[in-house]
Amino acid sequence: MTALAERSPATRHRPPLFKRIAGSEHFAGWAFVMPAVVLIAVFMLIPIGWSLLLSLQANNLLAPGHYVGLANYKALAKDAQFKSAIGHTFVYTVIFVPVSITGALALAVALNRKIRGIRFYRLAVFIPLVTSTVATGILFLWLLDPTFGLVNYLLHEVGLPQQQFLQDPNQALYCIVAMTVWSWLGFDVIIYLAALQGIPEDLLEASQMDGASRWSTFRSVVLPLLGPATLFLVVWSTINALQLFDEIYVTTRGGPLGSTTVIVYYLYQQAFQFFNAGYGAAIAYVLFVAVLIVTLIQLWIGRRRVYYTS
Amino acid sequence: MKRLILLIVVCAMVVVGCGGSSSSSGGGSSSNTSSGGHVNITIWHGYTDVEATAIKKLTQEFNATHKNITVTPQFYGNSDYALQKVLAAIAGGKPPDISYLYGSWAANIATNPTTVDLSKYVKSPSWNWTDFWQAARNVATVNGKIIGIPALIDNLALVYNKKLFQQAGISPPTANWTWQDFENAALKLTNPSKKQFGWAYVNDASEDTVWRFWAMLWQAGGSILSADGKQAAFDSPAGVKALTLLQTLAKQNAIYLDNGSDNYTGVFASGHIGMLWTGPWDLSQINTGKVQYGVQILPGDLNHQTISGPDNWVVFNNGSARVNAAVEFLKWFTSPAIDLKWATMTGDLPIRQSATKQAGYAAFVKKYPGIGVWVQNLSNATQSRPVTTTYPKVSTVVGQAVQSVLLGKADPQQALSNAAKQVNGILSAPS
Repeated sequence: MTALAERSPATRHRPPLFKRIAGSEHFAGWAFVMPAVVLIAVFMLIPIGWSLLLSLQANNLLAPGHYVGLANYKALAKDAQFKSAIGHTFVYTVIFVPVSITGALALAVALNRKIRGIRFYRLAVFIPLVTSTVATGILFLWLLDPTFGLVNYLLHEVGLPQQQFLQDPNQALYCIVAMTVWSWLGFDVIIYLAALQGIPEDLLEASQMDGASRWSTFRSVVLPLLGPATLFLVVWSTINALQLFDEIYVTTRGGPLGSTTVIVYYLYQQAFQFFNAGYGAAIAYVLFVAVLIVTLIQLWIGRRRVYYTS
Repeated sequence: MKRLILLIVVCAMVVVGCGGSSSSSGGGSSSNTSSGGHVNITIWHGYTDVEATAIKKLTQEFNATHKNITVTPQFYGNSDYALQKVLAAIAGGKPPDISYLYGSWAANIATNPTTVDLSKYVKSPSWNWTDFWQAARNVATVNGKIIGIPALIDNLALVYNKKLFQQAGISPPTANWTWQDFENAALKLTNPSKKQFGWAYVNDASEDTVWRFWAMLWQAGGSILSADGKQAAFDSPAGVKALTLLQTLAKQNAIYLDNGSDNYTGVFASGHIGMLWTGPWDLSQINTGKVQYGVQILPGDLNHQTISGPDNWVVFNNGSARVNAAVEFLKWFTSPAIDLKWATMTGDLPIRQSATKQAGYAAFVKKYPGIGVWVQNLSNATQSRPVTTTYPKVSTVVGQAVQSVLLGKADPQQALSNAAKQVNGILSAPS
């Protein structure tokens, strides 16, 4: 034993630092994830850090900015237009989230049956999701056109008064809700369909044998088992709704009379139309904190209310 | 979400770059002076179609006749997003030598240290600077500095459907038309049962909504801001008069309210709109052969002023050798002969007044029916919008005011007083 050790002394010494690092399991692990880490750092973390700095500056993105402390945030607290943008975002979110989720649940239950042409119906629900936002926007602009639109034509045919839709400050936001529900519904339906198909048959059979009606089976067996999917959809849809931008940008551009100016559209206006990039970054940070708080609350409620099978 | 990330990335890139831009431009100059007299420069543009062909052809012509300079045109995509791309390039230390940029950005671009002040060049008599149309010179000038060379000029004129005028029994518009003539015609041309409108107005509260209103304000003798630029001046009797015309026609459903996606050209081409206030850029969509159209200068009140939205060629500093080359190219490119050549190839209006006196002008007017009116109308574009960094905010406020009247939510006086109060707040805020 000792003789062996004397013949190869190197084994008793610690290998050089480089070899130790390169040979370790940690290194291999880091090497594998490094491309992703670098990508996330360069395109997510560093920009997030920079935009925090930007939010503390008066900066028009053209000339060098200068540090102004919390002035942007203080101005934001007094900004009436920002408050109305928050109001629009709030109204949009509290309508969009429940409507899209209950609608998707109903559709998913309807599509979770063995009927002729079920693939076609599923496809029909899914297509709006893969349609580009710009195409959806142009489609709705024409459908809802007050003079030449199909919807007003149909209203006229059944004898109802003509509407201004996206050109009416009192209707535009609700039209945006309808448009986004239509285009995002497919996603929610897929999640619910997958969850419905994951419900064990024996549970459903057992409840049938116990004499449960179809409604009480749905109410007491199916719905609780869809809990995790519902929680996910609520969190995901809320985040999406709070960050609404694209649909506004391609249709109303915040109008008419600012009635669809939501938070992220206001941010865009400030940063890229008025050249107040620092102010825009401050809005982004306020929104970030708001999303974080809302999500934490939802997850906290979810932990108490959602039943996980496993 | 995607857009938000993009936005943050762009912001970050610019912040990173702001520190580095000045040093990199210095580096550029030394490498160019040492390269034996030949200078390569790039020119960024958003031209497509005939304009893309024209810029390629003309830069080739320049390169062939100027042995010590090579100009390379580069397509940057839609001009709407050019500013962001140029900013990123400046941040990266490699700005284009010349870029096509919207006139509405001029005041903000002037704050960038890489933007070259061209005053000392264009003062030379060989440039004949005053030959450029007044409106174009105004937009290239920020606080006495000249930050660009005119790249495009346009203006609003009255385009009308000849057949609808005949059907309604109205004689075609003349150069002496008053607002009253215009209003009467618009009302006569309106027929809700046929979904027919007398006029169209862009009602998205953007600058597209606002600049048409400015033209009317000027015609009635009003002005946008006070002479010192510190107060709103549009809430005047002239402003109320202009908005009242809009209100009257909107109430009678005589105006097709466009949602901002430029549907009005299609609606006009299908024969549902009697008159448009528009520029030569819409000509290709209007001239589809379905509608016989005529062009006339705008109707007037005290005068027949129009408004122009010129764009600029902005030069960025990549060292003196390249700046000199860029200026030499622009001087050639905007010289009277090449200017008319460009106009004839593309259908853009000539940016020099002397173009009308050239031999080739008649051929240009013949090639694009109606364009002659727009060229002559440039002499009615005597005023310009304020070239200031606060203008985009002013425009947003006034856009809402005009929209509130068009939608019947406010009276002209009430809308303008409210807007003026907000604008005064914007103008007095520390920048």
